[in-house]
Amino acid sequence: MFKLNLKIALRNLKRNFVISMINIGGLSIALAAFILIVLYVNYETSYDKHNPNYENIYIVGRDLKDFKTNFTPPPLAEIIEQNCPEVALVGKMTPSNLEFPLISDAGRIYIKNTMVMNFNAAKIFDLHPQGGLKQPQGEIERLYYLNEASMRTLFPNKKDSMPELVLMGGKTLGLTAPIQGKIVPNPHSNLQFDGVAIGNNLGVAEGFGFPNYYTYIQVKPGTDIKALEAKIDRLMKAGMIKEKIDMGSLKNERVFLDPLANLHLKPQAGNDTNYKVVMALFILSMLIVVIACINFTNLTIAQANKRAKEVGIKKVLGSYRQLLTMQFITEILIQCVLSMLLALMLAELFMPTFNNLFEVPLSLAAGAEELYWMLPLILLIVTFIAGVYPALILSGFKPALVLKGNFEAGLQTSWIRKGLLVVQFSIAVIFIAGILIVNRQVEYLHTEDTGFEANQVLVIKNQMMYNKPEVFATFRDKVMKINGVKSATVANVVPGGEQTGSNGYTVEGREALLDFIDVDYDYFETLGIKLKSGRTFSKEFKSDTLNAAIINETAAAKYGLLDPVGKTIRGCNIDYKIIGVIKDFKSQGFEAAVQPTIYAMKNPCGNPRLSIMLKVDAAQMSAVLAALKAQWSGINRLDGEDFRYDFLDDLYGRLFKKQEQLKAVFFTASMLTVFIAVLGLFAFAKIMTSNRRKEIAVRKVLGASDFQVLKLLNSSFLWMLLIANVLAWPLVYLLARTWLDTFAYRVELSVVPFALAGVISLLLAVITVSLQATKAVQANPAAVLKHE
Amino acid sequence: MITLSNIEKYYSNKGIKNYVLRHVTTQIHPGEFVSIMGPSGAGKSTLLNVLGMLEQPTYGKYEFMGEDVSLLKESKRIELYRHHIGFVFQAYHLIDEMTVAENIEAPLLYKKVGGAERKSRVADILDRFNIVAKKDLFPNQLSGGQQQLVGIARALVAQPSIILADEPTGNLQSTQALQIMDLFKKLNQEEGITIIQVTHSEVNATYGSRILHLLDGVIKEDEAVLT
Repeated sequence: MFKLNLKIALRNLKRNFVISMINIGGLSIALAAFILIVLYVNYETSYDKHNPNYENIYIVGRDLKDFKTNFTPPPLAEIIEQNCPEVALVGKMTPSNLEFPLISDAGRIYIKNTMVMNFNAAKIFDLHPQGGLKQPQGEIERLYYLNEASMRTLFPNKKDSMPELVLMGGKTLGLTAPIQGKIVPNPHSNLQFDGVAIGNNLGVAEGFGFPNYYTYIQVKPGTDIKALEAKIDRLMKAGMIKEKIDMGSLKNERVFLDPLANLHLKPQAGNDTNYKVVMALFILSMLIVVIACINFTNLTIAQANKRAKEVGIKKVLGSYRQLLTMQFITEILIQCVLSMLLALMLAELFMPTFNNLFEVPLSLAAGAEELYWMLPLILLIVTFIAGVYPALILSGFKPALVLKGNFEAGLQTSWIRKGLLVVQFSIAVIFIAGILIVNRQVEYLHTEDTGFEANQVLVIKNQMMYNKPEVFATFRDKVMKINGVKSATVANVVPGGEQTGSNGYTVEGREALLDFIDVDYDYFETLGIKLKSGRTFSKEFKSDTLNAAIINETAAAKYGLLDPVGKTIRGCNIDYKIIGVIKDFKSQGFEAAVQPTIYAMKNPCGNPRLSIMLKVDAAQMSAVLAALKAQWSGINRLDGEDFRYDFLDDLYGRLFKKQEQLKAVFFTASMLTVFIAVLGLFAFAKIMTSNRRKEIAVRKVLGASDFQVLKLLNSSFLWMLLIANVLAWPLVYLLARTWLDTFAYRVELSVVPFALAGVISLLLAVITVSLQATKAVQANPAAVLKHE
Repeated sequence: MITLSNIEKYYSNKGIKNYVLRHVTTQIHPGEFVSIMGPSGAGKSTLLNVLGMLEQPTYGKYEFMGEDVSLLKESKRIELYRHHIGFVFQAYHLIDEMTVAENIEAPLLYKKVGGAERKSRVADILDRFNIVAKKDLFPNQLSGGQQQLVGIARALVAQPSIILADEPTGNLQSTQALQIMDLFKKLNQEEGITIIQVTHSEVNATYGSRILHLLDGVIKEDEAVLT
């Protein structure tokens, strides 16, 4: 019996080749997308899961009311160690982002991201450097490890595992450090570095006033995290009170514990946009599978006419209904298995493109463990969703009706098929309108005025701190001698997503938290930032280097100042005089609103000024670069031998990378969805018109023109499309609203994308249906009717 | 074998009852060859469907081999199909995706006949009907007469005690039709299979032993055919 049914299934596949291929093809495309995205979601949500203590590791963070941070003071680790027996290990680490060269006889590298950590932190993160994890000796010793690429460059011929000496900084500085060996950071971990330095303890000299460290704890299994959180909060506050730090803000401060599982996608100190994007992707992929399942269901039911007779005959030959249901489900299962195999091939084929786009190392082989049980499950679910309904419909046919001859199976189920088609097209319309809106916003990001000019600005990588204007003046003089350099300045950050610090400032008795940016002369000129009132820093005013400040519009608004110029603003124990107000510029991209900011040349509470920016004449860019390269050691002797730079517009452009990624994914998903929906419509129209061949012939005999018949065939689909559009629009609105709300600066939603989505979907439908219908319309009525 | 007492079948439309069958009372004995005749719309096919349990009468009692059919469960009815009833249709109704041999084999699969016996019975009947050469063809590769032969072979292979035929020759040319009727007569006389056929043709009706004349759902005449 099974063999016979299998034969029937295969013969049916062959007989309805086009429809079967559309069915299997559509489903396999959707499944391929699903497989890729499941792998991706799985990857994104399992950072650090390889860690044996994954469940028990937390980072200690601080909630400062205005914002949350994972930076904690170094003594916190010790007081947790001494007072919390439920904590097994306390680790602390601090990132050192200062970029400096390491030099050996064989070559040199620039190391940027060094993680300085204590021994326990290395144990918590389960690090395995070359030669095994070793405990450093005493308080001073640091064990240095470098990543593989660096080690290969520095010591290409190294075979043993003995430590090697390297020069740090410039050759002339004479600083050396021993490198213990290589360390390979797991790319699937939150902890990423170019190198690590492991010591017994860090920040011994620093107290509670230096929140520059990450504190990680590994608790014993079964620990009450809420209670521990409260306990650490008390310990922290006691420590701060003892050192008489920030007494005023203590009551606004709270310690939280953030599990390791959260750190990659939804850290408390940070935002959960990544998490939302991953989840949105997952939902998108499910929608695509749903659309494909609907296709499948719809086409199978639409073909029911052809199978109805078989059902009727088998019933009078003595078949139970269950047997028939099983037969149809088996048939659908076969098609699903074929789809799945095809999907796996497609997934493998597109894996490199996908990996490239998302910068992940996914592979079917590596994800096999999850896929082993997931794929059969998906197969069963899809078979169930796509197969059960048609199987029940088909097996339920009454033989007396079917065998009479003029049976139209379509009639009983037409509303449900129409309903499914409407759902399918609603989803397609959501995608079409969605991609139009995403496109507009991304275009807006590229074309909208950022408030400053990033073009032709060189950002020079530098290790010299130019905190004092007079020190930078010599540098500036040397650089300005090069033809084509228009202006030169230095600051603690460059616009491009780098976070600066913030501090409390008071104007007329009102205190507010302002971001501070420490600058030098010509900062606003180099970046082309526009002045609203007052003036910028100038060498003609001697006091500018001591107590002059410039604020932005947002800051002026925060204090409610109508005419801020000349007023006094106090912060960091300095009474600054406001000399100017600048127009807001979007230094952090379009997602975050412009922060109230103060710019000053003197800021004892500030950060080191390392970022040199040069505005260069476009025509002379290459000459300037060549000259800087040639003269670099003369211009900036302490920096080292190499001149290295970035273009500011490149740095700033990286802020949009995520949106570009999202756009690419969304575009692909939309295309797939629309493609599958059109496939469905194509097959549906094919079956509909073939079912109506007789009607078409009769109408033509009665005198209808080809065009009238075409109109008739299209009109039933157009109604469904109209309903689909009306259903989709509010959903599009809600989704687009939610997404656009993640931007502080965004396009306004207009009617255009909605109307356009409607028009595009209508056009697609008319073309698809007409392609099918013309064939039926052009058939000779005599031939058709004779056949009947 | 079959006892119909006061069978009624009607469709209600806006309170008006449209009778398809009225007061149908009759008995059919084993070994009879009954033809149901009457003009279009007389209820012939409906009566045959009721006899084949494909339709339920609105009222009345139908006993098949001593069992009240209206009380039968679905599974029991399917058992009757498997063991006692063979259907032959005007439009043949072969399964298009199956070959001739597979079509004939199908009822045996449902009857759970063993593989070896299935093969021999199918071979036997193919041989008897002279269609061995056609066994691997699909229905659409056969002429109408040949298709109907296969249809009858399929009905016979399960060794039913009764064959219900709805205008078995309606789609056939007259020579083919005569062959089919000869076959029916032979089956009836030599193997004692009960046959009930619906037909328009006076000629076909004379092949049987008894004719039920139906007019507007009522049995007008019940005559025996004289041979």
